[in-house]
Amino acid sequence: MSGLEEIGLEPRASAPAALLEVEDLKTHYPVRRGVTERLMRRPRRLVHAVDGISFSLARGEMVALVGESGCGKTTTAQTILRMVDPTSGAIRLNGTDTTRLSQRRLRPLRRRLQMIYQDPYESLDPRFRVRQTIEEPMLVHGIGGSRKERHDRTLEALERVELSPAELYVDRYPHELSGGQRQRVAIATSLVLDPDLLLADEPVSMLDVSVRAGVLSLLDGLRRDGNMGILMITHDLSTAAHFADRIAVMYLGRIVEHGPAKEVVRDPRHPYTRALLSVVPKRDPRDRSSPQILKGETPNPIDVPSGCRFHPRCPIAEERCTREDPRLRRPPATGDGHEVACLLA
Amino acid sequence: MSLLEVRELHVWFDLQEGRELHAVQGVSFGLDAGERFGLVGESGCGKTTTILGLMGLLPPTASVAGEVLVGGESILAGGESSVRSHRWNDIAMIFQGAMNALNPVKKVLWQIVEPMELHGIADGTQARRMAGDLLEMVGIPASAGERYPHEFSGGMRQRAAIAMALACQPKILLADEPTTALDVMVQAQILELLVGLSNDLGLALVLVTHDLPVVAQVCERAAVMYAGEIVEEGPTEALYHAPRHPYTRLLFAATPDLYGDEAVVSIPGAPPRLDRAIEGCAFRPRCDSSLDRCESEHPEFRAMGAGHRAACHLNDLPGEERAAREGARRAGSAAPAATPGGGAP
Repeated sequence: MSGLEEIGLEPRASAPAALLEVEDLKTHYPVRRGVTERLMRRPRRLVHAVDGISFSLARGEMVALVGESGCGKTTTAQTILRMVDPTSGAIRLNGTDTTRLSQRRLRPLRRRLQMIYQDPYESLDPRFRVRQTIEEPMLVHGIGGSRKERHDRTLEALERVELSPAELYVDRYPHELSGGQRQRVAIATSLVLDPDLLLADEPVSMLDVSVRAGVLSLLDGLRRDGNMGILMITHDLSTAAHFADRIAVMYLGRIVEHGPAKEVVRDPRHPYTRALLSVVPKRDPRDRSSPQILKGETPNPIDVPSGCRFHPRCPIAEERCTREDPRLRRPPATGDGHEVACLLA
Repeated sequence: MSLLEVRELHVWFDLQEGRELHAVQGVSFGLDAGERFGLVGESGCGKTTTILGLMGLLPPTASVAGEVLVGGESILAGGESSVRSHRWNDIAMIFQGAMNALNPVKKVLWQIVEPMELHGIADGTQARRMAGDLLEMVGIPASAGERYPHEFSGGMRQRAAIAMALACQPKILLADEPTTALDVMVQAQILELLVGLSNDLGLALVLVTHDLPVVAQVCERAAVMYAGEIVEEGPTEALYHAPRHPYTRLLFAATPDLYGDEAVVSIPGAPPRLDRAIEGCAFRPRCDSSLDRCESEHPEFRAMGAGHRAACHLNDLPGEERAAREGARRAGSAAPAATPGGGAP
């Protein structure tokens, strides 16, 4: 049963294999004007949070969206979920364009898209037992039928996130669980809805180092066995390199480099990706290669620099970089699907 | 004689009904001027409590035992009045999240001038000039001191917090997770600044973090804490290449490396509760290579070679036997290690 039939939409006849397709997506927020600005009739300014990005994600695939805060990773996820409305572009889920659907018609689709939040200390209701937390989405979406059926689904979800025996956990409160266990409960809460796509926003950054790998392996297993697509948002390149199939590096609302994870990490072509990789601390104290530290911080996305938006911080920028806005293209001598938005790559 | 020497530091917190939580259980370490020392471990292992203990900043529910010597002088012995003369003047701290703790209604410069005046370092124009110099030293233009914290980016606020900690020209700087909430590029900038300060001013730096790669890149020596104790201490190179405690080895194995291909494995279980006495080795329930005696005998903290110490019974075994034991367990432990939580309470 796919969400599409429920809302009376047929998948496109020539539906491509992609589970999620994002095409030239833009999400701009208006900046609130103060009284003076209004009186002076200054034009309304825009935050270009997401400024024209395209990517796709297949079933069973994990794509990592990496970049610094403010680069538009989270807005991208929120737009895919339609928590915010896109300014332009298209988001297709199983071939259906969701960008213009009404909230009512979105609801059954939302079941197919589940979000896992960063902080399991905040995302679980402290007054809810694990059982209530996991049953809640079933009640909202009117699935699971009888109480018995919901109970069975709850136990099954807990076993799937490796909290077993499930009976041991269903009646606990969040404060009786460790951070890793809480995040597993949060994941179980989305699994009961049988989603096609998980959006995981920094799923382990609040967890202890010793349990991070376990939660990431769990997500890894879910997409391999559960035939789910996972879009992971992270600022941690090491994690992305280890668990994702593909990495998309974002800078100021754009994807600047995109390709197979190992290739992007081993053979980065965009100067921003190179700098970002060079500052990731290595585990081996002997491996102290000098990091290439960029000066300053990401400019604000209201006044986006002209030409290539990275040029003010770019170590190799030339004059034409200030004029020409580079498009994503495949640089010479790179593997399939490796694309870079740099005039000099 | 070391600049800072901590001898057998213990901290207990009073709980209800006369129970006690033994948060720090006999921690000893020392460091010289210009040295950078890392204190690593999972949350709840006593890292922060240890350094708050050094600063005499624990709440009244805590009792502290042990000695802290700064330049040979015991600073805790005389109670609050003796700590007070050393706190900030000799030994200063950057608190976790300090960048979010700046006073929002006071200009940044004022916030650096205030501790100088309170501690009688300088006042008036002279203090303002010195505060401006401090800002320049941490990479903020002195004129920016006339701005308010909300006008600063996260990285700049963290720089301002470092300048505040340096206001009274301390010899020792304790930094509690100074880069945890920052982006990788800003993290690299702040770490570069801290390394520069310790080199240029001969500042002894204690870096408290859960992030092993950060310690590997910044510190010459480090101590790994578990359940309130230091379980291994030594040069960071030795900790990575030749760890003598399974916890150190497993922590590194749980940390993904950008270019590493080996699987990242989490450590099953959770740290023990510290409100009851622990029999034997505290790490035994999570250890992948424990011996029978680990259950009953508490391992002693012993020298393993130049400046390298560890508390593990495995070190009593001949080298090959120890390696075989760890190797065999490692190969065979893949399955149980993948079961997260491991039924941990």
